[in-house]
Amino acid sequence: MNRVLKFGFVAIAAMVAAGSALAHHSFAMFDQSKTVTIQGTVKDFRWTNPHVFIQVMVKNDQGVDEEWSIEMTSPEHLVRTGWKPGTLKPGDKITLNIHPLRDGNIKGGQYLNGTGPDGPLIGAPQPSPGEGK
Amino acid sequence: MARRLALAAILLCCATNLPAQNRMPDWSGQWEIVGVTPTADGGVQESFDQVLKEMQWSPPNKPEVQAKLDQIAAAERKSFEAQDQGAEPPANGPTCTWGFPAVMLDSPLMFEILPTREETVLIFSGREVRHVYTDGREHTPKDELWATPWGDSIGHWEGDTLVIDTIAVKAPARGAAPELLPIIAFGGGGGAARFRMITVANLSSEAHFVERIRMVDKGHLEDQMTIIDPANLTEPWHLSRTYERVQHVNRMVYEDCEGEDRNPIVNGHYTIVPPPSHTFGSPPAPTNAPAGQSTAPN
Repeated sequence: MNRVLKFGFVAIAAMVAAGSALAHHSFAMFDQSKTVTIQGTVKDFRWTNPHVFIQVMVKNDQGVDEEWSIEMTSPEHLVRTGWKPGTLKPGDKITLNIHPLRDGNIKGGQYLNGTGPDGPLIGAPQPSPGEGK
Repeated sequence: MARRLALAAILLCCATNLPAQNRMPDWSGQWEIVGVTPTADGGVQESFDQVLKEMQWSPPNKPEVQAKLDQIAAAERKSFEAQDQGAEPPANGPTCTWGFPAVMLDSPLMFEILPTREETVLIFSGREVRHVYTDGREHTPKDELWATPWGDSIGHWEGDTLVIDTIAVKAPARGAAPELLPIIAFGGGGGAARFRMITVANLSSEAHFVERIRMVDKGHLEDQMTIIDPANLTEPWHLSRTYERVQHVNRMVYEDCEGEDRNPIVNGHYTIVPPPSHTFGSPPAPTNAPAGQSTAPN
């Protein structure tokens, strides 16, 4: 897999040291060394700047629904890859591969790729199978 | 009579060095820098080594400038190595402006180019705009000029090549050395940090930029840029960048800094605050809570 540069309005923290900054905010909250797979139902597809979010309801080990917040890149970047505001709708069944938040007590992560009602969702190249959820 | 008119048209074209109105180049559509095409997960697929190679990052820095750059680069590399080991980078302040020359060299933002006889306007999706006046004027007089992140640009046409001359450029963000304009190469990395950003040059406020933009084939534009900065460079620095038409998009789509404050620290770590649910015609839900603590209506 090509190395993927995380920078879509990203955190370009090194630029602080360099006396500059080109970023909206950091992706530092996501653990880039872990990939987790979640399955659930779309609650809301929040198409907004600077980043888009998929709100998805996922059943935990006790069978209770938990709301996960999955952060994507910006609408401008997403439309260039083929995404639209209507790509996902509430009620859609989806499977997502994500980099989870470092703080495991909070349900959220960074979108990598996944599968929606109509098949694969546009994203990064499929990673190695992650931990099941 | 017809031959005289044709001759007059040719003479007018050559005298002004402008393409005739019906020959203004077709640079319509949205453009992006080759190699900086974003992916849906917020990345681009170009390694740092590729960036260095393709962009010909070999600035002829003066030795004393290079010595300082080596220190800066060492600190940057150290930061990335720490991130590879799991360290969280420090939070950075919001900055929506890329500025020139980054918008032409390294930006992930798409842009439009609107050429007319008198002016060519480059509009970037981050709402940055470059105005290049081609009506024969000189640069803004010194007593009316001040530095901005986009500089002061004039230009002229040499056939179908737009030649742009830019001065009075400053860095968009206030840093430790606001009088300098850092040129920063970045690309994908192999570790957890996933990217590398290294300062390769620090230009002075006297830096002068000359660009030659032309269409090299139906779907590609090329910008050959020369940076002249006797204060910090031993000789002019030549770079080039290629742009391609954006796929899937037939209109400008905007970026902005909306939602800038949604990175609170919870339990000692940065976290995210998803935007409130919002549909056209209804106000957004009045809440912004960290992920997993959303109080947005179901």
